[in-house]
Amino acid sequence: MIELSHVSKTYAPRFGRSARALDDVSLRVAAGEVAGISGPAGAGKSTLLSLVLGHERPTSGTVRVDGAEPRRFVQREGVAYSPQRLTLPSRWRVVDALTRLAMLSGVRASDTRTRVDSVLRELGLADERRARLKALPPDARVRVALAQAILADRRVIVIDEPLDGLGAESQEILRDLIVRLRAFDRAIVIASRDTAELQRLADRVTLLDRGRVRRAGVARPATPANVETVFHIVLHHGADQVLAVFPSAISLGRGAYAVRATLASLNRGLRELIDRGALIAAVTPAHASAEVNVVESLDQVSS
Amino acid sequence: MRGRIAAYAGAQLRDHLVLRAPVILILTVLGAWAYAAYTGLTPDAFDPSASVEVRGQVERAFHAVLATFAFAGGALAVQGLVARHRHRGYDRVIFSRPLDPVRYYAQGFVLAGLTAMLIGAAGAEVYGAAVHNVSLPGVAAYVALGWLTIGGLGLLLSTVTRFHAPLLVLLLVADFACDRYAAGLRAAGSGSAIVDALRYLLPPGHVVASLAGPFSQGFAFDLLTVAWPISFGVVCITAALVLLRKRPFGS
Repeated sequence: MIELSHVSKTYAPRFGRSARALDDVSLRVAAGEVAGISGPAGAGKSTLLSLVLGHERPTSGTVRVDGAEPRRFVQREGVAYSPQRLTLPSRWRVVDALTRLAMLSGVRASDTRTRVDSVLRELGLADERRARLKALPPDARVRVALAQAILADRRVIVIDEPLDGLGAESQEILRDLIVRLRAFDRAIVIASRDTAELQRLADRVTLLDRGRVRRAGVARPATPANVETVFHIVLHHGADQVLAVFPSAISLGRGAYAVRATLASLNRGLRELIDRGALIAAVTPAHASAEVNVVESLDQVSS
Repeated sequence: MRGRIAAYAGAQLRDHLVLRAPVILILTVLGAWAYAAYTGLTPDAFDPSASVEVRGQVERAFHAVLATFAFAGGALAVQGLVARHRHRGYDRVIFSRPLDPVRYYAQGFVLAGLTAMLIGAAGAEVYGAAVHNVSLPGVAAYVALGWLTIGGLGLLLSTVTRFHAPLLVLLLVADFACDRYAAGLRAAGSGSAIVDALRYLLPPGHVVASLAGPFSQGFAFDLLTVAWPISFGVVCITAALVLLRKRPFGS
């Protein structure tokens, strides 16, 4: 869905030396995948996201989103984008900001209020709905940035440094949000310096350092058969059968469920679901395992 | 896409009315006060039994106030739009949605112009009822001319620099200074090709200012005189839209 091929980006100011932010970066994020981009400050993460969003053009190489030039794709479909720093007029109240952006996102006027309320609840912002953006603590500002991004359904989600300034409770909200947003037709890209947390959120993490890919993202190893893990199941139809088969399943909306199971019990359950007439669209592990191959690669880079 | 941006027109209009229209009105009042102080105009001049000469003085004051309003309306039409969005990074959040930046900015700019025309016409209506008749369509058209010429230049400048406001003021001051200097030279019987060329290179602010009277008296002007500021405005707006299309985001 998202493809960067030998992409380089050089900033050449009118005065002073030019700086190469990205150097021959190739990366592919498939639909249904959550990709993490990690690396220290100045590694080129935000530049990479800017290219994917079409804010900037690469100096060389190509960037394609769903086969199209990024800006063309964004203008046609839109991208759910949560910036590192919430950049909206600070005098706006939270609810007004979300209402305006819902309008621009194409949410129907009759649905705007319901949609805004639902997003506020989901991000734990119900108490701050009347607060002005400038009065919000950093943690709530990050949640507003996430809230405005998910007002409308998008096939591409780009989240820049969501963990900066996020408290423990909000990190849990973020994890749940990523689980819910996971969908077989959706690509999610998250950039963060917090490699360990990124490893929990993403299917694979690509490590950038000084504009170069130091370690290409490696898909997580298969979940051990005897360990209970949270899986994300998306059903095309037959969702009403899920609770009968997995009584502890949590509905995530849009036919998606979070289920805690071992591989064996998951397979048994899926067979039973199919026997009951359900059509399963996707099954993905929701959380990362303890494998931290990116931390290893960080060690390699520093040594 | 068009529907989304059109649905947002109410919010853009509210922003303009709350944030910029009061500033335009304050600038106009300050302009009126400065003009009255400079010319020695007192409230007695508004007495219906005042002499023809005094009434002419009131009329000139109205023209000066109208010009101030049109300039302020034009200059502030783009405030808070392109340059501010880019400088603050609002554009990146807003245009991650399926929107055309050119259409979004153009709508904000057009709404600012329409608002200025309506306020200008309403002000002229009140003035016409209280003091003496003025042409409402003429006043509205004059405000539109100010929006087109001054606002068009402002829009172009805001797409190329975040220091668009001081640059706009600087260019207009240079234009008025150049026009005064050229008039002085003409009165002295001499002329300068360079000064004359400069007058045509600088924005035609002095032409717009000189047209307040003819417009408010009901389009009593030479079409060729108006063609210059109109063409200047159209060229500026077209160039701004082309630049916006080529580079919708700040770097």
